[in-house]
Amino acid sequence: MENFFSILFSLSLFYVAITFRVKAYVSVLRFQGILLALLLILPFIFKFSIYAIILPLTIVLIKVILIPNYINKIILDLDIKRKIDPTIQQLTFLIIVIASVIIIFLLTSIISNNIELNVIPFASGFSAIVVGIYLIIFRKKLIIHVCGFLILENGIFLISTAIASELPMMIELGILLDVFVVVFLMGIALNRISDTFEGFEVSHLRRLKD
Amino acid sequence: MNILLDNDTSLLIFGFLIQFTSIFFIFLKKNKSAVFFSNTINIIGLAFSLFISIKFLFTSNGNTFPLFYNFVKIDTLSLFFLFLIQLISIPTSIYIFSYLKHYIDEKRNVRSFMLFFILLIISSQMIVIANHAILFLICWEMMSMTGFLGMLLEYEKNEVQKGSFYYFAASHVIVFILYIMFFILHKLTGSWFFDEYQKNLQIIYPVTIFLLGFLGFGIKAGFIPFHFWLPQAHPIAPTVLSAFLSGVIIKLGIYGIFRTYLFLKPLPEWVGWLVIIISLVSAIFGVWYALAQHDIKKLLAYHSVENIGIIGIGFGLGLIGAANNSLPVQILGFGGALLHTLNHAIFKSLLFIGSGVIYQNLGTRNIEEMGGIVHRAKYLSIFFLIGSIAISGLPPFNGFISEFIIYVGFFKTANELKNYYPILMLLFAVGLALVGGLAVACFTKVNSIIFLGTARKEIKKFVINIYDYISLGLLSSLCIIIGFFPTPFVYLIGKIIKYDFVNYSYRSVLETIEWNNFSFIFISFSSLATIIFFIKKYFNKKYSSRKIEAWGCGYNNITPRMQYTASSFADELNEIPKSILLYHKKIDLSENVFPKSFHFESHSEDLVDSKVVIPFYNNLRNILDKIQFLSQTDIRYYIGFILITIFIYSLLSFIWN
Repeated sequence: MENFFSILFSLSLFYVAITFRVKAYVSVLRFQGILLALLLILPFIFKFSIYAIILPLTIVLIKVILIPNYINKIILDLDIKRKIDPTIQQLTFLIIVIASVIIIFLLTSIISNNIELNVIPFASGFSAIVVGIYLIIFRKKLIIHVCGFLILENGIFLISTAIASELPMMIELGILLDVFVVVFLMGIALNRISDTFEGFEVSHLRRLKD
Repeated sequence: MNILLDNDTSLLIFGFLIQFTSIFFIFLKKNKSAVFFSNTINIIGLAFSLFISIKFLFTSNGNTFPLFYNFVKIDTLSLFFLFLIQLISIPTSIYIFSYLKHYIDEKRNVRSFMLFFILLIISSQMIVIANHAILFLICWEMMSMTGFLGMLLEYEKNEVQKGSFYYFAASHVIVFILYIMFFILHKLTGSWFFDEYQKNLQIIYPVTIFLLGFLGFGIKAGFIPFHFWLPQAHPIAPTVLSAFLSGVIIKLGIYGIFRTYLFLKPLPEWVGWLVIIISLVSAIFGVWYALAQHDIKKLLAYHSVENIGIIGIGFGLGLIGAANNSLPVQILGFGGALLHTLNHAIFKSLLFIGSGVIYQNLGTRNIEEMGGIVHRAKYLSIFFLIGSIAISGLPPFNGFISEFIIYVGFFKTANELKNYYPILMLLFAVGLALVGGLAVACFTKVNSIIFLGTARKEIKKFVINIYDYISLGLLSSLCIIIGFFPTPFVYLIGKIIKYDFVNYSYRSVLETIEWNNFSFIFISFSSLATIIFFIKKYFNKKYSSRKIEAWGCGYNNITPRMQYTASSFADELNEIPKSILLYHKKIDLSENVFPKSFHFESHSEDLVDSKVVIPFYNNLRNILDKIQFLSQTDIRYYIGFILITIFIYSLLSFIWN
């Protein structure tokens, strides 16, 4: 079951790689949030406890509801155009992503001979990290950078579930809070930048160099 | 714990406190009063401390005084260097009164200079009494940095920026090496305290540690090939500071080398040979480079390299003696080195202050533009001459005494350790004699061009302050005292060696040399010379004397340009090691029968500086320029680099497994 969700997670990465719409990114984020929450609930299905449900609920609250809504609000408020501005062709990007994912899966399966880990969740998480960085590198729009960062963070989350099934809850909550604050700050920064510059592209930020 | 152990140590601390107090006077409102009061208080503190350390030194019986939880410990070697620092600091501080006058009128930031100078004196005293590696390193760093900041008095000059940067870079390299050395020592002994290192006989790899220490402290001391920063930094420093740097700071390098030796006492013999060969090269080429210079302060800086070489020869001789368990060789080697350290500190600061007085009046450091100063400042030329004779190692002044001890050391080594030693020692003795000869040539050049002849540059008035006379007089009287009455100083040196280096009970070779005969011979010869001088004066008065232009040779329309020049004097000698000195001449000869203008220029560059250091930095710079493209303005590139780094790391870890 874990593997199933992880594979769905990886597939959402491919979708991110080819989509042209900004809104699609937000829905992918929502989807991934739901997947992560499900992954966390899974081990506790038959031994229900109130503590086991706190973390998934928080994830749902933050990753599925608060952050995507906030990003949507920014998109509406700042009137960001709905098409993304890729710097390379979408097909090339897809090929790069697929190649990376394949390599990561292969490597992970080799590593798993020596170290005990769940291959598919680990590899999916790792791919998410790499794809998140790719998004930041190959996209111009700042809002996409925020999404890339969030996908990266989701990947880290997934890896943590793959390596140690139970991280201390407080740490997970702390990470969530961090992410939320970061997104919030980015939103504020975006608002500010939109006041100063015309567009929302990173290339404008060159002028901010010291 | 009661810090005030007894009266004497509390007096020592009191002396330090007076010196510290002088810092507060820097914040007085007017520049002039700030300099005056802080300097006066500092001199009082120094004199007080000097008095205490002399008392300690002469009454010491090998006791050490641990203070402040053993962080500070004063043994005989520390006391000797403490004495040296305070002895040199006093005349240089007195010279400040006259030196800074000019800068106060210019409304320069003299207060910060005073602050850095006082801190420099205090931190260099702290270095020699520190007993804890970290305290030592902190003081060392403080000493280097205050020296650097003090150098920047005339910061807007291009040469000052360049020269002080050399000093800065060299200091950092030194501190880096010293950190490595002390960390290794700490790892091996598990302690930070120097006396623990000294007691610990099981230090492994002593040679490696000693070579590290010799490298680090040797850069500070200025052995060739680590000397390159010295002729760059000393000329541009304010004269007070260059006198102090040359007199004291580079001696701290020597102190460090001695200290390192005491940590790792039994060293193999080849280390001694290595040290002695490096030192001989430093001595010979130091003086040869000096001969090729036109800048008086640069010349003196190269002479520091030479004298450090002589000190190193003594030290190396001591090492050889220690490796062969020969007591007299050790005593003569280390003793000569220690005494020459003191002597060099004295006459080098004397010469630097003298050159500073000349620079203040003429506004140039170029020897070729000076001349005829003896007619304007008789006593200055006498003081300078005393310093010159002393630095050349000629009797009857102090340089002779220490070099004589080293010569005796050579012959004693040949005598004690038969085998192949006599021939090698003979070679070294000849090398040292060559150094002495070249030094004589160099200072003949300096004295004759600067002081004799007629003035090449027109100046209104040659001003010498009472302060100049006091500081020059103090230093030259020290030269005379040590030269004429070496007995107490030799006794002192013997004591240091007895308590810190090798233990012996009977009279050592140092004391068996009949020093009183020296005093007798010197006094009788100098009194003879004085009598002849007065007889000559009497006859001159009686029969009258004739005064004509210098270098006149019967020609009437003589101009200052017709005099013999420094470069012509040194040319013959500089031609010999032409390729090492990078000595080149440029002569413009017109082809006409009646040429309108001649032009002649001779020039020497430092081999290490221009062939090793500068090319190295240029290459480094080129490489750094090539990877400059990595510094992009777009954040996405940086994230890409991060990704690549992650990839490389994971690949490496993968391969590792």
